[in-house]
Amino acid sequence: MDWLSTLINGLLLGGLYALFGLGLALVFGVMRVVNLAHGEFIVLGAYAGFFLVGWFSTVPVWAMLIPVVLIGYGFGWLLQATLLNRAVRSGNVLTPLVLTFGLSVLLRNGMVELFGADSRAVDAGALGSASMDLLGISVGVYPVLMLLLALALFASLQWVLQHTEFGRTVRATADFPDVVRLMGVKPERVFCQVMGLAAAFAMGAGYLLAQRTLLTPFSGVERMLVAFEVVIIGGLGSFWGAIAGGLVLGVAQLFGQRIDSNAGSLYAHLLFLVTLMVRPKGLAGGRA
Amino acid sequence: MKTSTWFPLAWTLPCALAAWLAPHWLDAGLMRLASEVLLAICMAQMWNLLAGYGGLMSLGHQLFIGVGAYALFDLAQRTGVSPYWLLPLTSLAGALCAALIAPALFRLRDAYFAIGIWVVAEVVALLVSKTSALGGSAGLTLDMSALEDIELFGQMSFWLACALGIVSVAGLQLLMRSRLGLAMTAVRDNEVAARSVGIDVQRVRLIAFVISGGMSALAGAVYFMGGMFLVPSAAFDVNWVVMMLFATLIGGIGSIGGPVIGVLIWFGLREVLATSLGISGGWYLIAMGAVAVVVSLYAPRGLLGLRLPASARRAAS
Amino acid sequence: MPLLEVDNVNVFYGDFQAISGVSLALAAGEVLALIGANGAGKTTLLRTLTGLHQPRRGRIRFDGADVTGLPAEALARRGMAMVPEGRMLFPSLTVEENLQMGTLTRRKGPWTLGAVYEVFPVLKDLRQRNAMQLSGGQQQMVAIGRALLSNPRLLICDELSLGLAPLIVEEIYRTFERIRGADLSIVLVEQDVARACAVSDQVTCLLKGQVTLQGASRDIALAQVTAAYFGE
Repeated sequence: MDWLSTLINGLLLGGLYALFGLGLALVFGVMRVVNLAHGEFIVLGAYAGFFLVGWFSTVPVWAMLIPVVLIGYGFGWLLQATLLNRAVRSGNVLTPLVLTFGLSVLLRNGMVELFGADSRAVDAGALGSASMDLLGISVGVYPVLMLLLALALFASLQWVLQHTEFGRTVRATADFPDVVRLMGVKPERVFCQVMGLAAAFAMGAGYLLAQRTLLTPFSGVERMLVAFEVVIIGGLGSFWGAIAGGLVLGVAQLFGQRIDSNAGSLYAHLLFLVTLMVRPKGLAGGRA
Repeated sequence: MKTSTWFPLAWTLPCALAAWLAPHWLDAGLMRLASEVLLAICMAQMWNLLAGYGGLMSLGHQLFIGVGAYALFDLAQRTGVSPYWLLPLTSLAGALCAALIAPALFRLRDAYFAIGIWVVAEVVALLVSKTSALGGSAGLTLDMSALEDIELFGQMSFWLACALGIVSVAGLQLLMRSRLGLAMTAVRDNEVAARSVGIDVQRVRLIAFVISGGMSALAGAVYFMGGMFLVPSAAFDVNWVVMMLFATLIGGIGSIGGPVIGVLIWFGLREVLATSLGISGGWYLIAMGAVAVVVSLYAPRGLLGLRLPASARRAAS
Repeated sequence: MPLLEVDNVNVFYGDFQAISGVSLALAAGEVLALIGANGAGKTTLLRTLTGLHQPRRGRIRFDGADVTGLPAEALARRGMAMVPEGRMLFPSLTVEENLQMGTLTRRKGPWTLGAVYEVFPVLKDLRQRNAMQLSGGQQQMVAIGRALLSNPRLLICDELSLGLAPLIVEEIYRTFERIRGADLSIVLVEQDVARACAVSDQVTCLLKGQVTLQGASRDIALAQVTAAYFGE
C-alpha cells in the first residue's frame, strides 16, 4: 500500500513538474531558445505570490494565482521585447543561451539581495492541509487540484494552438519567422506573446510550488534542470510527452526519496541521464 | 622558425620571475587573492578551449573542479602522501572523468550538451554529499601529515597557482601552433569544412574535452589545497562555471588573451565592489549578470573582439 | 500613375553590392517579367521590394506612397504579397491552415477561401492534409492561394516553375491567366525566358545586379533577351 501511495503522490508531483516543463517547451518550440532563467521565473512567481498574500490577506490564497499569472505574462512580454528579441534575431545560437544564463545569475542574486536567502513558503490554509481518499490512499486535495490544473492547462494550450488563429500564427512563426512577415505578422510580437505565456505558466507554477514546499532564491536552478529534463524525457515538440515526462520524473523523484531519504533530485537526474543514453528522442520521439 | 615558435612565450620568463619574488612583497591575504586569480585564468582558458575552440559550451565545468579537489583530498587521506605529489593524479582524475562521460554527452548539441553536463555535475555532487568516506555534506579537511614544512605551504600553494596560470596560457599558445591546434581552429570556424578536409571532428573535440577536464581538475585541486578545506557545495558550485563563462565571454571567446582579460575584470570588479565600496558579495554577481546580458547582445565576440577593426574582426570570426 | 515605382535602387550585403541603380515601373494590371541568370540579383531585388531587405540608396513607391525602408509586415498590409522561391509552406500547418495564414493582413477583396478552392479545386480535397504531404505542383498552388488570400494589389512570384514537371508548369500558368486582372499587378521571376516573355507585358533583365534590357515584351526579340541574359 505504501508503494501505491508513493506512486500516486509521485504522479501528483509529476503534474507540477509537467507545469515546469510547459513554459520551457513553449519557448524552445517557438523560438529555439532554452531559457536558462526559467527556474528563476518559477521562484519569482513564488515570491510574487508570497508578497501579494502578505499584503492582501483578505484575498483567498488560491485566487492570488490569477494576479501572479498576469504579472508573469507582463514580465515575460517585457523581457522578450527589451532583451530576448535581439538575441533571437542575432542568429547566433550562443547568444540567447548566454543572455538567459546572465539573466538567471542576475535574478538569482538580485532576489537574495532584495528578499534575503532564508526559505519561504505560502500558507495554503485549509485547502493546503485537506486530504481526500483516492483508491484507499489518503492524498492531499491540493496536489490533486494541481495535477488537474496542469492537465487542464496543457489541454487548453493544445486547443489554442490547434484551433485558433493565434495558435496558427504561433505555429507558423515557429516554422519560418521570416515568411510570416510576408503575411503581415511581426514575429517579434508573436515571440513576446509566447514568452509572456511561458513566464505566466512558470510563475504560476512557482506560486503553486511555494504552497507545497519551502523555497529560497537558489531553488530556481534545480527547478530549471527538472523542467529541462521533463521536456527532454517527454520528447521535444510534444506537449503530451511533457506531461508524461513530468509524471515519470515525479514518480522517480518520490521513489528515490523513499529508498534513499537525503538524495535530493538524484534519482530524477539519473533517470534523465539514462533516458538520454537509451532513448535520446524522448518518450514521444520528437525532433532531437 | 625556431625563434618565432619560442618568442611569443618570452613573456613567461618575467612572469615566472615575478612569481618567484612575489612572496617577499605580498602578505598572505594578497597571495591568496593572486592565487585565486591565476587559477581562475587557468580554468577560464580551459573552458575557452572547449567552448571557443571545441565549439562545446559547458555549464557543468564545476564537475571537474570538484572531481579534482575530491581526488586530492581523498588520496591524501587514504595514502598519507604529500599533496604536492598527488596533484598530477588529480589532473588524471579529471581527464578520465571527461573521457568517461564524453560518449554519452557528445551525442548532444548546443544547449543539450550544456545542460547535460550540468546535470552530471549535480549527480556527482549529490553522490559525494552522500558518501561519508568523502566527508558527506560536512566536508573534508586536507590531510597534511606528510608535509614537512607547513610554513612553506602558503608559498607553495601560491607558486603552484602561478605555475598553472602561466602554463595554461603558454600551453594554449603552443597548442594553437601545433597541428592539433590548427585542427581545433578549423573545427571552431567551420565544422563541415573541417570534416571535408579530413579532420576527425569528434576526436578533436574529445581531446579538447579531456585536456579541459584534466587541467580544470588540477586547478580545482590546487585551489582547495590552499584553503585546506573542502565541502561539496563549494567544490561543485555552479558559480565556478559562471565565472569561467563570464570571464571568457567578456574577454573574448576563442582567443587566448580574452579569458585573461575577462578574469582580471571579474576579480577587479569583485574586489572593487566588495572591498573598496563595501558592497556585499551578491551585488557583484548581479553586476556580472547584467554585464553578461549586455555583452551577449552588443559584443558577442567579447571586449577583445570589439578592439579589432571591422576587417580584422571578420577575419578573426 | 504607376502602381509600383522603383527608382535607382542600390542594395548591399555588407560591402558587397548586389543591386546597382535598378529602376522600373509597373502599372495596375500589368505583368512584369524579371529575368536573369542565377546570381544576377533577382531574388535580392524581390527581397528588397517586399521589405525583407532594405536598399542603401534609391526609393520605392507603391500605390502612391513612398515605402522605402518599410519592413515586410507593413508592406504586406499595404497590399504586397509574395509567392516565395521554394514555396515556403509552413510544415506544421495543414493546407487549409496555410491558406488561412494569408488572411492575416485583413484586406478586403474578391479572394476568399472559397474563391481559391474554385481556382484550385484539387486543394479542396486535400485541405486537411499536412502541407508537406502534397506534390510540388500542389504545394505551388497552396503558395499562390496563400498569397492571393491577402487580396494584394501586387503579387510577386519567385520562380513558380522551379522543380516542377513541365505538365504541372503548364497547369500553373493556365491558372495564372485566371488570376491576373485589372486590379492585380504581377512581378514574375522566371527561368523559362520564352514563357516569361509570353505571359508578361514588360520585361526587365538583370545581370550582376544591373539592368541590361528593359521594355515591353512584344517589342523585344528573343535573341535580344538571350544576349542581355548572358551579357553578350
